[in-house]
Amino acid sequence: MKLRLFYKRDNVNNPVISNIVLKTRIPISILEAKVSSSGGEMVVDVPASGKTLDEVRELFQKAGVLAKEIKSVIEIDYDRCMSCGACVSSCPVQAIKQNAQWDIELNRERCILCLICANACPVRAVRSP
Amino acid sequence: MTEQRGAETLRRYEEINEKIRKGDAVVVTAEEFVKHVQDRGLDTVAKEVDVVTTGTFGAMCSSGAFLNFGHSEPPIKMAKCWLNDVPAYKGLAAVDAYIGATAMSESKGFDYGGGHVIEDLVSRKEVELRAEAYGTDCYPRKAIETTIVLDDLNQAVLVNPRNAYEHYNAATNSTDKILYTYMGVLLPNHGNVTYSGAGQLSPLYKDKNFETIGIGTRIFLGGGIGYVIGEGTQHNPQNQFGTLMVCGDLKQMKPRYLRGATYYRYGTTLYLGIGIPIPIINLHVAESAALPDDQIFTNILDYGVPSRSRPVLKKVSYAGLKLGKAAINGKSVPTSPLSSFKYAREIAETLKRWVQEGLLLLSRPAELLPNVKDFKPLEVRRHELKVKDIMTVNVTTARPSHDIKTIASLIVRNGVDHIPIVDDDNRLIGIVTSWDLAKALAQGKRMLEEVMTTKVITTRENESGDVLARRLAQYNISGMPVIDDEKRVIGIVTTDDLAKLLRK
Repeated sequence: MKLRLFYKRDNVNNPVISNIVLKTRIPISILEAKVSSSGGEMVVDVPASGKTLDEVRELFQKAGVLAKEIKSVIEIDYDRCMSCGACVSSCPVQAIKQNAQWDIELNRERCILCLICANACPVRAVRSP
Repeated sequence: MTEQRGAETLRRYEEINEKIRKGDAVVVTAEEFVKHVQDRGLDTVAKEVDVVTTGTFGAMCSSGAFLNFGHSEPPIKMAKCWLNDVPAYKGLAAVDAYIGATAMSESKGFDYGGGHVIEDLVSRKEVELRAEAYGTDCYPRKAIETTIVLDDLNQAVLVNPRNAYEHYNAATNSTDKILYTYMGVLLPNHGNVTYSGAGQLSPLYKDKNFETIGIGTRIFLGGGIGYVIGEGTQHNPQNQFGTLMVCGDLKQMKPRYLRGATYYRYGTTLYLGIGIPIPIINLHVAESAALPDDQIFTNILDYGVPSRSRPVLKKVSYAGLKLGKAAINGKSVPTSPLSSFKYAREIAETLKRWVQEGLLLLSRPAELLPNVKDFKPLEVRRHELKVKDIMTVNVTTARPSHDIKTIASLIVRNGVDHIPIVDDDNRLIGIVTSWDLAKALAQGKRMLEEVMTTKVITTRENESGDVLARRLAQYNISGMPVIDDEKRVIGIVTTDDLAKLLRK
């Protein structure tokens, strides 16, 4: 399950993820991280489900980090899409590919909804849900 | 080459058109031709095939349309004019205008431009026309607001000064920031490669010596029939950067092949489809038409360098780029096109059908285009400010051995905000700003290593003022050390220095 984490300014410096990994032994991978003067935002992949996932989410909450599940992914409007490929290599997690006919294909499992592809699309065929 | 350019030694235009009329012409797409030649050899296939069709579909910024609105009652000599809030060029007669693809809406900015106006016109949508005038004895009206549709216009002619680049550069980004360019979104640290051009389907690569494509060549343009009217601007055929100037009746075209587009934070443009039939008039033309993707090359340039001469990182073939990966500095980097191979193929197929069905006959050019032409730069013949004109030469620096209290007193005593940290040879190691010290105080840090920034953003003394100002804004910083080739600190520039210039 992918989670988007919101850090407040005062807990940006805390080793929140490391502590959770040490405690639960779940190898959490960091897919994206941004820190600004107002706090931080991270996208992580937690290879867990059910009770274990709930436990991880609870631990984030206890550490003062808001954890939201990333359920939705980008949407491609195939009526507008020109199959140009501008979105493909702009995707930092390689969720977008072109097949042999150059059609655009989205791997929903990989998308972290960063929306870089939405900016890259010259005809606004890629949008946030 | 011994025979004359354009020599019709294999077949003449008249013979080809005769075969087309009878329905006997052998027409194949460039991709099919490449395959046939690989399988059965150039000589055999060149004898059989009459016409090779090509296609390309990509962003073509130097595009636009001449429009004639007709006269209103009372009439107006439009001095300024807008279509859906996008300014059109009005340095022409009363009701003639030119809408350029990159002109941007005065209300919607990047989201809507001249390319979108052209797409909306071709889609038969209503477009708002607004114009202003100073009023004359013969044209008393001073303003007009109305709507137009394409079929109301007397003429609507696409006239594009530069289209169908033979091939184009590929782009990557060495900086640590995401860049938004006319080559699309470029991820930091060589995170991706974007490229453009149709490779083995590219019209101009299939006649790279310009033996058949010339003034008057009949082509597929935006889904209708158009013509080549000359060499395009920046035509540079000897480096495979040939271009075309083309025109065609907008009313015949199809919205599928004329798409208004936006490159994020760069601007608006028009994606346009062009296809050119190449008559196989001699063996040299056949040889060019048979070039496969692995023999068509381009350079990957570093768009992180904001200069007209960007460093070449690597030469690659279109076959390589199409694999979706390229190695840069030993790292595998995703590649993707900006122009559509799917549409390029579709255009070559459509053109093949048009020729087979006799909907498009081939035309011998009235004149051939130059196959050698220089592309000259613009020299700036006025003095412009460079970093060396702005920078402070007496730089207050410190050593890594200094404690932060010493640095704090240097900042106060010399009235500066930036202290570059240098080694014994004055080579840059890091930088400490007054903000870093305030933060250190708040966090109770004492060691210089904990406080200083080691990844320093720097500039060179010959860098232009515009590039400097853009980098300061991009990194949201207030100053940069100026370094030489040996990384020695030779000056410092700050936003204060720039502010001083404005006060002068």
